[in-house]
Amino acid sequence: MTTTDVLDKAPAAAPVRGGRRRSATLLAGCTLTGLIALLALVSLVWLPYATDDTSGGRLAGPGGGHLLGTDKLGRDLFTQLMTGSRIALAAGLGSVLTAALIGVTLGVLAAFAQGWLDDTLAAFLDILIAFPTLLLAMLVVAARSATLGSAVLAIGLAQSAVVARLVRILVKRVLAQDYITAARTSGTSWPRTVAGHVLPNIWPTLVVNLALQFGLAVLAEAGLSYLGLGAPPPNASWGRMLQEAQATFTTAPAGALAPGVLLVLLVVGVNLIADGLRDTLDPATRQRRS
Amino acid sequence: MRLNKPALYAAATTATLALALTACGGSATGGSGGTWDKNATVNIGSLYEPQNLDNTAGGGQGVTEALNGNVYEGLFRLTDDGKVDKLLAKDYTTSADGRTYTFTLRSGVKFHSGRELTSADVKYSLQKVLADDSQSARKSNLEVVKDIATPDAHTVKVTLSQRSISFVYNLSYVWIINSQAKDLKTSEDGTGPYTLGKWTRGSALSLNRFAGYWGDAAANKQVVFHYFKDATALNNALLTNAVDVVTSEQSPDALDQFKSNQSYKVNDGDSTTKLLLAFNDKAKPFTDVKVRQAVSAAIDDKKLLESVWGGYGKLIGSMVPPTDPWYEDLTKVNAYDVTKAKKLLAEAGYAKGFSFTLDTPNYDPHPTAATFIKAQLAKVGITVRINTITPDEWYTKIYKNHDFTATLQEHVNDRDLVWYGNPDFYWGYDNKQVTKWVTEAEEATTTARQTELLKKVNRQTAEDAASDWLYLYPQIVVASTKLSGYPLNGLNSQFYAYDIKKKD
Repeated sequence: MTTTDVLDKAPAAAPVRGGRRRSATLLAGCTLTGLIALLALVSLVWLPYATDDTSGGRLAGPGGGHLLGTDKLGRDLFTQLMTGSRIALAAGLGSVLTAALIGVTLGVLAAFAQGWLDDTLAAFLDILIAFPTLLLAMLVVAARSATLGSAVLAIGLAQSAVVARLVRILVKRVLAQDYITAARTSGTSWPRTVAGHVLPNIWPTLVVNLALQFGLAVLAEAGLSYLGLGAPPPNASWGRMLQEAQATFTTAPAGALAPGVLLVLLVVGVNLIADGLRDTLDPATRQRRS
Repeated sequence: MRLNKPALYAAATTATLALALTACGGSATGGSGGTWDKNATVNIGSLYEPQNLDNTAGGGQGVTEALNGNVYEGLFRLTDDGKVDKLLAKDYTTSADGRTYTFTLRSGVKFHSGRELTSADVKYSLQKVLADDSQSARKSNLEVVKDIATPDAHTVKVTLSQRSISFVYNLSYVWIINSQAKDLKTSEDGTGPYTLGKWTRGSALSLNRFAGYWGDAAANKQVVFHYFKDATALNNALLTNAVDVVTSEQSPDALDQFKSNQSYKVNDGDSTTKLLLAFNDKAKPFTDVKVRQAVSAAIDDKKLLESVWGGYGKLIGSMVPPTDPWYEDLTKVNAYDVTKAKKLLAEAGYAKGFSFTLDTPNYDPHPTAATFIKAQLAKVGITVRINTITPDEWYTKIYKNHDFTATLQEHVNDRDLVWYGNPDFYWGYDNKQVTKWVTEAEEATTTARQTELLKKVNRQTAEDAASDWLYLYPQIVVASTKLSGYPLNGLNSQFYAYDIKKKD
């Protein structure tokens, strides 16, 4: 008996309500994330000021030619926020792609491994997960240099352990299913089995997890930049903006509030998407809604 | 953020260059009249907790701030305006060749443990600074000491291997310690107006008035240094009267709350900390003096200072702060002039500009300064690649291996112009004439001659744009108006507390 069979016996009414609620979640998530993405896209073709324009006054307040005011050097805050959104999205996407690539490969391999190799891989992944993302990222940045690429690689590496562990468990569960045995007995090769049966079955859970990892990656990059280990200046990473505005918070709060609010919007947005995706992609709930 | 200062302090001992983030107090303010509480406790707020209590064992700038002049005294004392006064030395004579100094010690000076000061203690203290395991930043300056003799209990005769006009000045950094004292990292035995009370690591260090002090007793009964990791917390402590004075503010933006309040006084003094855009004068294209001059002229130092310090601080045209005896206003040399910068670049064959990597320490104010410099130099066609590095990397890559094109760094010490006379120093400035002047200045027979020669060095290095001296940090001491007599200027992190008077 498969998981789906069990869930089919659940009452019919409740999931429909839940389904509608979750679609609204997905919509809200897409709106928030879309706003940030729009900001990033617009910044590619148009910016209120040049990024290195220091003609504004020191810590000018909002209004008066500068929508949100200026920073210590007289640079327009809104311009920095816009270019910062590119960095945030690039960090999120880059990290998640790295994590997915390494994590899925490692996870599938680990799922096929037997005996001591399986135990070793599982233990290795557990240790890697226990390692704080930020600390691992700091080590990578120290070994390379402080660039956005290093930060993305570091965050991706740290997250690949989480992805790999999840994939390992999911694949192992799928491999125990009757249809895999059926496919194998009918002569399907392992690579084709993985591509045709295993991956499509773990995909829904995986993609929800990756969406969550995206939000975490954005936060991790902001954290690294806050510590001066992320995208180097003059790149306006939101984390760096927060760090720079910290000392002037009482006199010019906009400098810290604005990147903070955008960071929250993006992370909440991505998490809502993850929630919504879980609903739409999970085979269990999908069946219940039909 | 303040990264890993202790490690650097330990590492950079052979040089007077220190990588601290700031410098601290110097002399006494004019005391306001009225009565004060002779038995007051003065609470001092600081960001610089000592690593240990021994200034020859990597104690850091915090140990100087808390103990120099308060618990330990030298033969001489450096005053607020940069002068050298006799302290434990009652008098001294110099031989005709300038290589033998005979010091007569003040009599009746007692250590906190009760022993009387003798010449043997002075010898011991000097040897401690010169010892192989000594981490004193002043060690290399004192290496001219060849022999220390103690003809009697109150006379010390020091023979130098060569003339050294700065010898007396350098002695102001040498603490005179009881030669029989033990465990100086956690306890003390000096001759100062205070004895060590209690040191609670991570939180506070208290000093108590020493009843057996040889000179005028301290104007307060107790001093407590409270240590904070975070400037905001420190300012809040001052606002809530948990501390009476903050030794050194690190950002101008917290000051408004004190300026608008009648209960506080914000003092704007001079520090000796300079922010440098240090070129590697041995790396292309900075081998060319015109390129260095062009870069110096292309950067609007005034706007940078305004950005970082909002009206505090001073512009400098050279390595010499106003408190050094050979100070001269050289801000007009290679002043901000974009047209001239472009012309110089064209003359040097870089009409279309060039690009270089700027190694930038990852803590304030370096990233801000780097961003500003990048924007400024873009206007004359120079592309700056900012490479952020940690203080440890800075020490290895730049200070030790000279593997850089240009970098940003704070230089905290006074009288550090002389490093331009050392062609092997990290910035690689190699001018035979300057080296000769610096050597001659050190071997000069009079301070007038020394000053004259170092003024020449000052002007020459400024004209050569050996480095670009961006600005001089302010030394901002904020105190309750109940206090008077606290030090104002920032000379080498000292903070003499014995003149501080607190009103009832």
